[in-house]
Amino acid sequence: MQDTRLFLRRPSVRLALVCLFIPVLLLLAAGLHGADGHQVDLDAVLAGISVVHPLGCDALGRDVLARVAEGLRLSMGVGMAVVVLGAITGITLGIISGWVSGWVDNVLMRLADIVLSFPGILLAIALAAMLGPGVDKLIIALVAVGWVGFARLSRAQVLSLKAAPFVEAAVGCGSGVAYIGWRHLLPNIAAPLLVEASFGLAAVIIGEAGLSFLGVGVQPPDASLGTMIREGTRLMLVSPMLVVWPGLVLFLMVMAVNLLGDALRDILDVRMKSSA
Amino acid sequence: MLMRMMGSRILQAAPTLLGVATLVFLLLHLVPGDPVDALLGEMALATDREALRHAMHLDEPLAAQYIHFLGGLLSGNWGQSLMDGRPVLALILERLPATAELAGCSLVLALIFALPLGFWAARHTGRIQDMTAMSFSLFGISIPNFWLGPMLMLIFSVGLGWLPVSGMDQPGSIVLPAITLGTALAAVLSRMARSSWLEAMSTDAIRTGRAMGVSEHILWWRHAARLAAIPVVTMFALQMGAVLGGAVITETVFDWPGLGRLTIEAIQRRDYPLVQGCVLLIAVFYVLANLLADMLAMWLDPRQRKA
Repeated sequence: MQDTRLFLRRPSVRLALVCLFIPVLLLLAAGLHGADGHQVDLDAVLAGISVVHPLGCDALGRDVLARVAEGLRLSMGVGMAVVVLGAITGITLGIISGWVSGWVDNVLMRLADIVLSFPGILLAIALAAMLGPGVDKLIIALVAVGWVGFARLSRAQVLSLKAAPFVEAAVGCGSGVAYIGWRHLLPNIAAPLLVEASFGLAAVIIGEAGLSFLGVGVQPPDASLGTMIREGTRLMLVSPMLVVWPGLVLFLMVMAVNLLGDALRDILDVRMKSSA
Repeated sequence: MLMRMMGSRILQAAPTLLGVATLVFLLLHLVPGDPVDALLGEMALATDREALRHAMHLDEPLAAQYIHFLGGLLSGNWGQSLMDGRPVLALILERLPATAELAGCSLVLALIFALPLGFWAARHTGRIQDMTAMSFSLFGISIPNFWLGPMLMLIFSVGLGWLPVSGMDQPGSIVLPAITLGTALAAVLSRMARSSWLEAMSTDAIRTGRAMGVSEHILWWRHAARLAAIPVVTMFALQMGAVLGGAVITETVFDWPGLGRLTIEAIQRRDYPLVQGCVLLIAVFYVLANLLADMLAMWLDPRQRKA
């Protein structure tokens, strides 16, 4: 309880909450408004702000508020899914790699090196383009890039913990690898992984929107903040707010996640140092 | 000693490059179903399908395709573009100067902006100047370049009419793409510069210098700057590779006719050999930038040579 209060008192956390205010407000407003983001209304093409359409309408007369909210939900959904799947894959492989060592470690780490030999966004673009359109393919492409950070970090942590007395005691008691990994190693390597996850979430949110912006992610008529920015850019001269809203929401979300990541890193670093 | 370590590091890059080439080769085989179907559609004539299959060597066993692919890479035959039949390497080399110009300008811009900002933040750590500088850094890291670009266009091209909206033919057309691509780099570099300078100032060498009465100005600029330069230079070299990844999006936003734009055009036209060529070249640059970063670090920091 006291930890939560200390966490909330940090300036970066307060700023993160301020950043989250607009996206959350938009989600609530969209929920109350109840408009369908897929409903085409040719009488409302590029309509401005009104009571019926609080953020106006796009080139097909669809409600921008409803679409921004849908895009936001999708970004967060994809972001969480990629981080969770990437973390599960990366941590499992990282623990195995660090624990087993030998050729398994060599193969896994060379694989990680190869993935890291590409600029992350480029590999995700190439994979998404080859796999074809669809949210599931998008998630696969982003996980294929995102697991590496978790794997390398958990491997490094496991290597430093392997010789710790409590781990040797568990081995001496005859505990299996899976039990040691889950019960003893994971809780002790969780802090840096949590920080990695928070920064990873920000990168994935931008990655999803970026891929959708380039046309290799979410496909129309589904709304993604990236596709909305792309459509808005084309109509920038006629209706500039079409590019402002989705980008602003995306920026604020990413900023909030980065600020929370910063705060987590500071707090967990301090704790790790003090417990060392 | 230094030359031997550098030689060993260069040798280490060879298997990485082979791994990169292998992954790029396998990319084509990720296309669901038959790549020929994806290209020609299922209604295409059998003769056309066979001709394309043969042209792409898809009628050979996987191992033979792989050897053919690697042999082609080494001999400079990166295949033909499926759309206009021109050599992939020639198409890529045509677009490379535009990307090099954009990446170079972004990196210089980032460096000019980031170093003074990082120093300013470090010099006033914990104060309002530090918070302002780090707020910019956070802003730069958080703002997606595919939104920053249109926003800059909206303000400086559409609103104020100072700069061209897109393309690279008019004077000043590089300004907005360079700012868009350079903002994130400047943000990362300024953070790195600040933390490196602060770390350098907390070393025993600086403490000793201070005890000997060396002026703060000399400590900051002569002694700490040299120590702080090592991670900053390394990071800068790493960013030289990363900037090519960012260029894919920035060039698309500004219709900049470089390698990044070519990659997206190839993806949109399902020109798989061209996609492979573009991805491979960018990845090779990225690996070489990593190599350069490691070698610079070895050259600048004698401790790494002993490690």
